Amino acid sequence: MKIILKNDSQLHLSINEDLYNENVLFKCFYWYGSDYNIDIDKNKKQYVVIITSKSSTKIDHDHLLLKIKQDLIDFKLRDIVTKETKNIRELLTAKAFAHFQTDENPLTEISDPVGFDPTKF
Amino acid sequence: MVSVIEKKNRKFKEIDYYQNNELTNYFLLPFRFQKINSNKEILVNEVGDFLLVPIGTAEKIILKKITKSENETLYFDLISSFFISEEAIPPLLNVLEARYRTKKSFLDQFTALHIFVISLRCEHTCHYCQVSRVTENKDQFDMSLYNIDEGIKIMMKSPNPHVTMEFQGGEALLAFNNIKYAVLKAKEEALLNEKHITFVICTNLAPLTDDMLPFIKEHNIMISSSLDGPAFIHNQNRHRPQRNSYEVTIEGLKKCRENLGEDNISALLTTTNLSLDYPGEIVDEYVQQGFRNIFLRPISPYGFATYNEKKNKYQTEKFLAFYKAAFEKIIDYNIQGYYIREDYATVILKKILTPFPVGYVDLQSPAGMINNVIVFNYDGKIYASDEARMLAEMNDFTFQLGTLGKSTYNDIFYGEKAMKISESWANESLAGCSECAFQPYCGADPVLNYATQGNMYGYRPTSVFCQKNMEIIRYLFDLMEDKSIEKLFRSWITGHSE
Repeated sequence: MKIILKNDSQLHLSINEDLYNENVLFKCFYWYGSDYNIDIDKNKKQYVVIITSKSSTKIDHDHLLLKIKQDLIDFKLRDIVTKETKNIRELLTAKAFAHFQTDENPLTEISDPVGFDPTKF
Repeated sequence: MVSVIEKKNRKFKEIDYYQNNELTNYFLLPFRFQKINSNKEILVNEVGDFLLVPIGTAEKIILKKITKSENETLYFDLISSFFISEEAIPPLLNVLEARYRTKKSFLDQFTALHIFVISLRCEHTCHYCQVSRVTENKDQFDMSLYNIDEGIKIMMKSPNPHVTMEFQGGEALLAFNNIKYAVLKAKEEALLNEKHITFVICTNLAPLTDDMLPFIKEHNIMISSSLDGPAFIHNQNRHRPQRNSYEVTIEGLKKCRENLGEDNISALLTTTNLSLDYPGEIVDEYVQQGFRNIFLRPISPYGFATYNEKKNKYQTEKFLAFYKAAFEKIIDYNIQGYYIREDYATVILKKILTPFPVGYVDLQSPAGMINNVIVFNYDGKIYASDEARMLAEMNDFTFQLGTLGKSTYNDIFYGEKAMKISESWANESLAGCSECAFQPYCGADPVLNYATQGNMYGYRPTSVFCQKNMEIIRYLFDLMEDKSIEKLFRSWITGHSE
């Protein structure tokens, strides 16, 4: 992440797309929308993020940069979980709601803690 | 499901099988994480199970840096709580499915709560109330017998065998004759339709007379009243010409307790700007009146907070400060030996600490409106929730689903309006919520989003709903680090001190 510009009301950043993909960037900067206007653009392999304060108070750049760095890492981690678990999440939801019926009559009442074959009895 | 008969051999494996320290290539299962305080973060899986861990643990887990040999306790906690799996499809996936199904089981039975706005008339002129009218005109502002009948017909069509018929106002007791008619009619219909009905009257208790009590008792009707705090707050919030709202409420509470029993009367707190300065006094009043629960409800944004981001944020911050101060006072009372629970926290704690869903309509996903609650207004109009009817009083009919006597059950519950609302009623699919660790404990509220932000989908960074719930849930986890507080919280859920 490179700082392109910083002044009282703005912070411009350039972020390498190999490090943080578009999903991560948008999900991360979504949460900055209450205090800042966010513009995200792309120039070759770099995302350019323009952060403009909504209020008249000066931007605390050190604080903001630290928060952005932490948030980008967190959202990248969340992105890894989301992608790696996409199929299992879909499977889980689909199976949970798929025509579930309870067994009214259990097939056997015999408990089998030690591994004998109850069908032999 | 594989039966015991099909499974021929279930012998325990040798100890080495369970101690395979070489295995570090685990698979992630769906979970989310969030910082709780400067030391701890929380991991929450798809069914709401959680682990409080040191900050940085989520990163290690996700980057597969956790090993069975070096992090044995954590590793097995993660396996047993469905955060990671040693197989691509966990062998106990069926268990996780059942847990997920259980968490969403509030959807199984569909709409339970049917609110009948039996009259819009009221003898109070509370400044925060947008809906009531001070008038003697019964024809214009009381629900007609025709609309009562039609409302009961809709209620009887609900797939839910247990329904609640709640009478609201205005002041419901001003139309007590209509309540009597509705209760008797609903009971008759319930017999034919094999429904079990719970009756509730929401009232400020001012019009309560001795001759009403035998009917209320005979039909086991619950009374839901309002107590905003000590006299100087209650009377300021709830204007009455005689300035004696507090006195008549306390007298009414006493009468109800004597005649109906402690369990059939409850009181709700309406928080106003004035209340925010007196958290301790409000809790003291509830204790003084012998209540064992208090519901610290936020200020309703309907009417005053629409579309103003800054004001909304400020109001929510003030409410959260009030909530925490009152909450500390409640905990103090419990530590001193007086059992009193806070109801909003209890709803959230039930979601956190038990596998079951909670029937609280404002904190569900899919949202409680339509799925759990429907409102029949005095004039026969049908709304998706109580807040939707308040919007209608401000001439916004976005959430009007139909009209009694004209709209069919399908029009109301599965019509175009319901379909439109359903696009924004699951927090699993909302931006900002989809990867939030608190998602299983929170909900979605398209009406609130619409009222405060102009659209049903909402925008989480400035949402009062998100700001409030994120902080309260975080606060509860923060407090729960103290095991004695966790024990207290568990007693609020179970009702037992041990």
